[in-house]
Amino acid sequence: MACLDQLSAAQIAAGVAAGDFSATEVARASLDAIERRDGEVQAFLQVSADLALAAAETTDKARAAGEALGPLAGVPVAFKDNMHLVGTRTTCASRMLENYESTFTATCVQRMLDAGATPMGKTNMDEFAFGSSTESSAFHPTANPWDTGRVPGGSSGGSAAAVAAGEVTVSLGSDTGGSIRQPASLCGVVGMKPTYGAVSRYGVVAFGSSLDQVGPFGRRVEDVALAMNALAAGGRDPWDSTSQPVAVDFLAHLNDPIEGRRVGIVPALMDAAGLTQEVRDAVSAAAKALADQGAELVEVDLPNIASAIAAYYVIAPCEAFSNLARFDGVRYGYQEQGCATLAEQTSLSRAHGFGEEAKRRQMLGAYLLSSGTYDKYYYPAQQVRTLITADYARAYEQCDVILMPAAPRTAFKFGELSDPTQMYASDMFTISNNIAGNGGISVPLGLGAESGLPVSAQLQGPAFADASLLTFARAIERSFSPDGGAPVAPAFAGKGGELA
Amino acid sequence: MPLTREDVRDIADYARIALTEEELDEMTAYMNEAVELLEPIRQYDLEGVEPTFHPIGDLSNVMADDVPDVEVRALPVDVALSNAGSSRGRSFRVPSILGDQGGDR
Repeated sequence: MACLDQLSAAQIAAGVAAGDFSATEVARASLDAIERRDGEVQAFLQVSADLALAAAETTDKARAAGEALGPLAGVPVAFKDNMHLVGTRTTCASRMLENYESTFTATCVQRMLDAGATPMGKTNMDEFAFGSSTESSAFHPTANPWDTGRVPGGSSGGSAAAVAAGEVTVSLGSDTGGSIRQPASLCGVVGMKPTYGAVSRYGVVAFGSSLDQVGPFGRRVEDVALAMNALAAGGRDPWDSTSQPVAVDFLAHLNDPIEGRRVGIVPALMDAAGLTQEVRDAVSAAAKALADQGAELVEVDLPNIASAIAAYYVIAPCEAFSNLARFDGVRYGYQEQGCATLAEQTSLSRAHGFGEEAKRRQMLGAYLLSSGTYDKYYYPAQQVRTLITADYARAYEQCDVILMPAAPRTAFKFGELSDPTQMYASDMFTISNNIAGNGGISVPLGLGAESGLPVSAQLQGPAFADASLLTFARAIERSFSPDGGAPVAPAFAGKGGELA
Repeated sequence: MPLTREDVRDIADYARIALTEEELDEMTAYMNEAVELLEPIRQYDLEGVEPTFHPIGDLSNVMADDVPDVEVRALPVDVALSNAGSSRGRSFRVPSILGDQGGDR
């Protein structure tokens, strides 16, 4: 019988519905794959075997009772550990929340469960999502399944690696400046950051509230489209005031023709300093593949995009400082014992609960929001945000989507980018999209000619044009993944996970 | 003008993050490097450009109906207290904030 890692989400759901195998058998296969593979990958912070088997049993009973099953029935899914799920801890990979038990379930998680998904556990991340390598997790690093001496990217590195290693079929991550698209690129899987507001943020621990967005990972564009349908089902979430109704069937547009549709190329981005030749060549090949399928390539300009990293490192730390002020050691989180005053307890709880990078970002935010500095950086950064957003609006008058790299280079070695501001450049192609609030997706292009490691293209689109991002992503997948999706990393493919 | 160690000590105090002397040195170096990264923001002529504080431009503050959602969402007291480092009865417990033991600013 097949190994779980060879099946698409739709095949698993169809197989469960048809009775070819049970949701319980699928859950056991995923647990077996995690058992056999995750010792090396370390994508998971917690494996929720009991929850998984209970959810699978519910699915199997529903089928036995003749009830209609959800579109993700029995599909093994993992969640980034900044998403609340009752019955699990939500740690944000921080000592601060090491023992925090979820008191409610995030809307994005609940919607995946409502679609029939089986929750396999919580995945590793950079602490509070501050990073691009998952190295700042307080608990352990996660290895890139394509080369375990290298990072999976971040901050959603665990979610990307769990899918790349074939431990689960789909996972969720969050993307504040590239934290879905960059690890997807480094791990050779599809990763989508939908338009801001398309997916509810209720129950996801906040980093930068005007930038954060939840989205799915999968090895196939179709798997990601299925997950997007589940996340959008039920419409606007009344528990997130920024949630927007999305009434699109993402699956229905997957194979729309792209003939005559326009793909924007930004010449300045293709010549960006720090972009490696193998990534540039692969993205150029993706452009050619889209042209071969009838798309028209047009040059567009985003003149203010070079300032996106600067604007981001004003806006994001300020929002992070504001959001992380809630960790005062009183209501939840690490609490320093034996303090004489509340002030001392707060300062020491935060000093000992937060790791280095979390302290850095909050210190930067605290400085930038202080009087005198606000007018020099914070306000101008929000004005630059207007310029960047307007650049995109002008570009999308000339094209349907923009094609560019997802990350400047393939996966780097542990410790290779030791300087924090050097690490920040990892998101040079992704950050501007968060600033504008638009959607973006990473699509695998096979292995780099030089490094032999996964390389991806990124597609960006106008706000709430996420379905057309999936259409173009599928078009790239048709050319670059003849098997219908990206492969499981070879060192892990078929290791455990047999469907009995 | 670069940030001094004393500036950074004040910021840490404001951010309520106790830093050791060694951490203060590292943080000062980081802060100055990070602020340099932000320099492009200051090179713009932004006269007349409206700021965008949020990608969804037409957000306005709304008030929900004042109806307790006890059954669906409200956290029971024991659940709300379950993650606290210290609690007593139905309350979070904190060190003294008033009197001799206090001195919290």
